[in-house]
Amino acid sequence: MFNSPFLAEIGGMTRFAGRFFREGFRPRYEWRELLSQCYVLGYQSLTLVGVTGFIMGLVLTLRLRPTMVQFGAESWIPTMVGLTIIREMAPIITALMVAGKVGSSIGAELSSLRVTEQIDAMEVSGTNPFKYLVVTRMLATTLMVPILNLLATGLGLAAAYLGVNLKGGTSLALFTHNILARLTFGDLLSAVVKTVFFGFAIGLIGCYKGYYATNGTEGVGRAANSAVVMASMMVFILDLLAVQVSNLLGLN
Amino acid sequence: MQPAAAVAPLPATTSAPTAEVVLTVAHVSKSFGTNHVLQDFSLTLHRGENLVVLGRSGSGKSVLIKCIIGLLPIDAGTITVLGQDVATLGHAALDELRTKVGFLFQSNALYDSMTVRENLLFPLRRHWLAARRGQEEELVRQALADVGLPDTLDQMPAELSGGQRKRIALARTLILPPEIILYDEPTTGLDPITAREIDQLIRQVQQKYTTSALIISHDMNCVRLTATRVALLVEGRCYAEGTYEELRQRNDPTIHAFFE
Amino acid sequence: MAAPSASTNIRLGLFVALGLGCLIAALFLIGQKQNLFGSSLNVRADFRNVSGLLTGNNVRLSGITIGTVKSIDILNDSTVRVGMSLNREVQPFIRKNAVASVGTDGLVGNTIINLAAVPAPAPPIEPGDMLRTTTPLALDAMLGTFNVSNKNLVAITGDLRQVTHKLNGSNALWQLLNDQQLAADLRLSLRHAATATAGLQAAARDVQQLAHGLRQGQGPAGYLLTDKEFAGQMRHTTRQLANASDTLAATLASLKKQTETPNGPLHTLLADTALSRQLRQTIGNAERGTAGFSQSMEALQHNFLLRDYFRKQAKKQAQAAGH
Repeated sequence: MFNSPFLAEIGGMTRFAGRFFREGFRPRYEWRELLSQCYVLGYQSLTLVGVTGFIMGLVLTLRLRPTMVQFGAESWIPTMVGLTIIREMAPIITALMVAGKVGSSIGAELSSLRVTEQIDAMEVSGTNPFKYLVVTRMLATTLMVPILNLLATGLGLAAAYLGVNLKGGTSLALFTHNILARLTFGDLLSAVVKTVFFGFAIGLIGCYKGYYATNGTEGVGRAANSAVVMASMMVFILDLLAVQVSNLLGLN
Repeated sequence: MQPAAAVAPLPATTSAPTAEVVLTVAHVSKSFGTNHVLQDFSLTLHRGENLVVLGRSGSGKSVLIKCIIGLLPIDAGTITVLGQDVATLGHAALDELRTKVGFLFQSNALYDSMTVRENLLFPLRRHWLAARRGQEEELVRQALADVGLPDTLDQMPAELSGGQRKRIALARTLILPPEIILYDEPTTGLDPITAREIDQLIRQVQQKYTTSALIISHDMNCVRLTATRVALLVEGRCYAEGTYEELRQRNDPTIHAFFE
Repeated sequence: MAAPSASTNIRLGLFVALGLGCLIAALFLIGQKQNLFGSSLNVRADFRNVSGLLTGNNVRLSGITIGTVKSIDILNDSTVRVGMSLNREVQPFIRKNAVASVGTDGLVGNTIINLAAVPAPAPPIEPGDMLRTTTPLALDAMLGTFNVSNKNLVAITGDLRQVTHKLNGSNALWQLLNDQQLAADLRLSLRHAATATAGLQAAARDVQQLAHGLRQGQGPAGYLLTDKEFAGQMRHTTRQLANASDTLAATLASLKKQTETPNGPLHTLLADTALSRQLRQTIGNAERGTAGFSQSMEALQHNFLLRDYFRKQAKKQAQAAGH
């Protein structure tokens, strides 16, 4: 039990996160690399996340509609769909898509850098590869996932508006009002805060798996795969935690 | 251990009797679990000298130079590079020291996602000296010219041949003028002709930049062409030391096995 | 790892700006709803029961949301202090005597606080003021009352149905209402009654005079006092007379009551078919009674003992008329 690989991995990841906080906020700062990672991990995931968010918003609205009509609660569709998207669906969809796309790419990239000694090469070039590769990526996912989430939320709501208007009509003002009437700061902030943690977890797991990859090219595939699996699971665990914490804080 | 001790004074008298010591490895041990890769290993590198560490594959040669550059921690002993004990250095000091020590990886370790130019600029940007500002392009061209590949500036590493990549990797170590270059099996995986070219390049570079070099190899041609002194690494110890000719004429079967 | 170009920086900048713009817009919209960014006016009110009010619930004036609940604190076992943050723009419209009550937004909606104006002059509200409160009928209590009323209504409509059913099935009532003979009888008996009363009056006057003469020792009194048979006859007659007039009076009173208050005995009337028969019988009796009364009066006049007296009276009347 005490020498299980799972616990060892948890411990290793915790140390890794500790190293991130220890080294990440000391100069020198890799601004250029951070920006370029933000571009790659954030902007280039926008299409994927945006399309997914849009489709989920539309599908959710269309699926919900018959039931709501049955209950005579058609006017509640915007509220229900809106709150679902803002509070739960957009964060989860964004985090899962980013875990799939970015988690695997970080895992594969760092592990291939590791097995081809490029990480060592950076180190002997007098560059701290942890700062240059890991801190920038972890920061990039931590910063970009909330922004991706916000854009996915926006697109999801736009899709929901479209879905509501496909059958029956609701003005944009009423749609907005219906959602805003039930939306509190707590909803929005807990969604944003939780995506910050999602982003951090995705970056942490991807980097950890890639940074300590071994066994040559086989290790690259394994790192990418386990990064995705673990990051996705971590997203759900964090989501569960987020529900509990926001309940405790009275944000729900 | 005994043979090593016997031949130890020889290179000092033959090649550079009064030369300054730039690198000392003293009684270093390194183990991976139960695999004792280095056991009480010692060697000394003098300025302007090309020391080849000869050993069989898996004998811990690469581990040795990774320990020297601080990529791997050592279990016991001391490694002194340019007068500084590597094990005691902090991050900043270690980075500073590494600018003076070039490292040519066995796999070249070129950054695949960057062009040749960016690969060469990378260490320059890391150590951005005011004196070098505005001269980066000039330095890159100079380094590429030194390795004989001036036209590959905007190519990606993947587009280059193995020999070219080795040259670019060498250019990258040269761009921050090093005092010591550590070569990790520079000719492994290259065809014999290209290997000879690289060997010649190593000599040219050593003459032009007046560096000291520690070369890890098991390629006897490489040893013959580049070494001013050879150290034999057997079972984690410095088994023998001397010039190529001296060692070749030994009758010790362990040494002799390398020369056949 | 490639060095970022200007265009990628612009795209990244746009991406980040859009995302943060979404966040800021949403925060602002919610903030506007919760009056976080506008200047606010804080007032308080003590309630006995806030029915699940939460911080952030709306405060309404005439159905318009004008603020939110800021704080809910329990002061003691029967007082809950609710702090409200109101939009400053509505300050002139809320008076110090406004009354706050806890209500719900629709049947299953959020709990809200309603402010109601009181039609009495008062200065506008000021920050920190304490509003008066009322406890409106809670929904469950209302539903409880509603339940009782409903049961009553069921009983009433049941009765009503029974009544209409009987009404439809009752021939007596319709006969009663359609019976012209009855009306004619009634009119006739009333006329008889009028005649009888007139006769009764006259008879009473005669008796008075008779008694007067008796006290003075005049007329046939002495004779009368000696004749026992006549006295017995006379007593019998007067008793019958009194009986008849009593019956008549009772019948008339009951008739009058029945005609004047048609609602009162309706139910009995409808339920009891025997009554109409009785009614007709009574009227018949009254008729017969008055006729008998007239006859006895006539007989009295023709009695040989009193004949002289009546004749004298008639003469006196003629003389009086002659004057």
